[in-house]
Amino acid sequence: MSPRARLIAATALGFALASSGAALADPSGQELFQQNCSACHQVTGKGIPGAFPALDGDPFVVQPDPAIVAYTVLHGRGGMPTFAPELTDEQISTILTYVRSAWSNKAGPVTAALVKSQRTSGAPPKPHIPEQAH
Amino acid sequence: MFEPKSAPLTRRSFIESLGGVGGTALVMAGMSALGFGIESAAGATPPSLMGGSKGKKIVILGSGMAGLSSAYELTKVGYEVTVLEARQRVGGRSYTARRGTQLTELGGEPQTCQFDEGYYINPGPWRIPYHHRAYLHYAKKFGMAVELFNNDNDHSYTLFDKGKGPLAGRPVRRQEIAADTRGYAAEMLAKQVRQGALDAEFTPGDKELFLAYLKSEGYLTKNDFKYIGTDGRGYDIEPGAGLNPGPGKESTPHKLTDILQSNTWATLKSVSDWDMQKTMFEPVGGMEQLPKAFVRNLPPIIKMGHVVQKISQSPSGVEVAFIDADGKAGTIAADYCICTIPLSVLRGIDMQVSDAFKAAIKVPAYAPVGKIGIQMKRRFWEDDHHIYGGHVYLDNPDIITISLPSTGWLGPKGVVLGYYQFGSNAAKVSALSLEERMKFAVAAGQKVFPQYAESAETAFSIAWHRVPYNMGGWVNWDEEGRKTAYPILTEPDGRIYLAGEHLSYITGWQEGALESSWQQITKLHARVQASA
Repeated sequence: MSPRARLIAATALGFALASSGAALADPSGQELFQQNCSACHQVTGKGIPGAFPALDGDPFVVQPDPAIVAYTVLHGRGGMPTFAPELTDEQISTILTYVRSAWSNKAGPVTAALVKSQRTSGAPPKPHIPEQAH
Repeated sequence: MFEPKSAPLTRRSFIESLGGVGGTALVMAGMSALGFGIESAAGATPPSLMGGSKGKKIVILGSGMAGLSSAYELTKVGYEVTVLEARQRVGGRSYTARRGTQLTELGGEPQTCQFDEGYYINPGPWRIPYHHRAYLHYAKKFGMAVELFNNDNDHSYTLFDKGKGPLAGRPVRRQEIAADTRGYAAEMLAKQVRQGALDAEFTPGDKELFLAYLKSEGYLTKNDFKYIGTDGRGYDIEPGAGLNPGPGKESTPHKLTDILQSNTWATLKSVSDWDMQKTMFEPVGGMEQLPKAFVRNLPPIIKMGHVVQKISQSPSGVEVAFIDADGKAGTIAADYCICTIPLSVLRGIDMQVSDAFKAAIKVPAYAPVGKIGIQMKRRFWEDDHHIYGGHVYLDNPDIITISLPSTGWLGPKGVVLGYYQFGSNAAKVSALSLEERMKFAVAAGQKVFPQYAESAETAFSIAWHRVPYNMGGWVNWDEEGRKTAYPILTEPDGRIYLAGEHLSYITGWQEGALESSWQQITKLHARVQASA
């Protein structure tokens, strides 16, 4: 079969599971961060210089209006993938609320409603190119 | 000699006449020129660089496929070439993990591959489509042996967890899904056609032919166009000798609703994608074989362990600053530079290029990609399941594919690809420790093969986005980047030329790197010829 079609199918189905799974388990922001973000940004939030940006003390992360931060998680940027198919609005808000208050960060929480607004509105998100096997 | 024929000169007769003059090659060229579409733009052979090197020096950054092919073609025509390679091995992403292979991902634990001698996984590229002619050109030129890569196995499984009904959450043979889905679809369509519901679609005579096609496509019964199963979906008892098993026992189709509810139909397509069609190849002995063949055919011009720090240029030349394997800083001067460093890495290197070029380098995303090779102490997929190569398809986006090796057939052990995931799923899985990654992959495989966990011995995993000097599996251009940044990067900035899969529309394939290098050295050479 076509791997491309398979991936599109898998992604769509994965989204369905993530949506329904959120209500069952209720992992903390720290747990969700460790699962989804720490491979690159590290559990310390310090990233890896020259490779993955630090989130601890990053002005981008703690800016007063976190809309663009939510947008970045949803739609990706540079080497960072889109998390829109995998994580619910609630999960992303939980993660961002954690990231903005963890380590030395002291910024306010991010609501699921704000994440939702960035998922669907604002500047039209770049068309997501489905990942394709090689 | 060309002899006019009495018949009018048609395209065909013209082409046939070319054969008499210039042989097959001229026929092929003629067919292509007349729009028969015989060849792709790049063609199957490297550029012929005529006119000499004029004593020019070229420094090539990176010894992956683009760097090696550039080095090979330029050296051949007399350029003075030096290749700087950051690692202690050549090949870039084209490599093979075997006993003793070491990898430490950024922020990760050191990993040493513990496979038995002779066993390996290709953690990067692993299959070669038949139309990747630049790759096959070098394989043939260097006498590198290839073997078939089985990319499509009817007898393999799907395992779809997220569907419903009796076929969800358990392994189902792909031949059953294909036969039943298409059989029922053909039956339903035939019913409509026979009732006259689609008469407006047909020109006279075509209706009967279309029905004949549906019967053939779906293995429908001769007279009433029903799907009642077919031997291709497999047997409950396979035919054999004598009276027992004798003719065997045919299997019974699944219910249409069970297939639909299971979602396994999502694995069916009328034809494989262009990149995935039969026939596919792999090098005998691992993907590292072609890089090694290049090295055997090059003078000793590759400097290993040289990490590029800065790329500078003036109107008269380029200079590359590096730190060598002993930690000593140095520089190399040349007339031109071919830089094959992935953009994900290049964007972190000090580079003297225009602001527009610099900005373009930062544009495209790179794909997070994860793979794991698991050495199995027994080839249970062959011995117990009669699956020889190919892939098991899962709807778990953290796994996606379990692939069975197309090498070492019928041997004692084998290395299975335990997952191949992308994007945020690759980011997630790569956060696991090495031990957890193996545990995670084995638990997923156990749902397909009861022998999986008990057979798993040792694993080698890779998260390409965390690999130094790669930082991503491949480039992911979006439409906007293709329009704005991509054209800038395909042209040189001063004396610096970029090459690699990222500067092609065959991204993520070795072929893209090779064809990009051919294109860039052609431009560079033409410039040298034009210069005084």
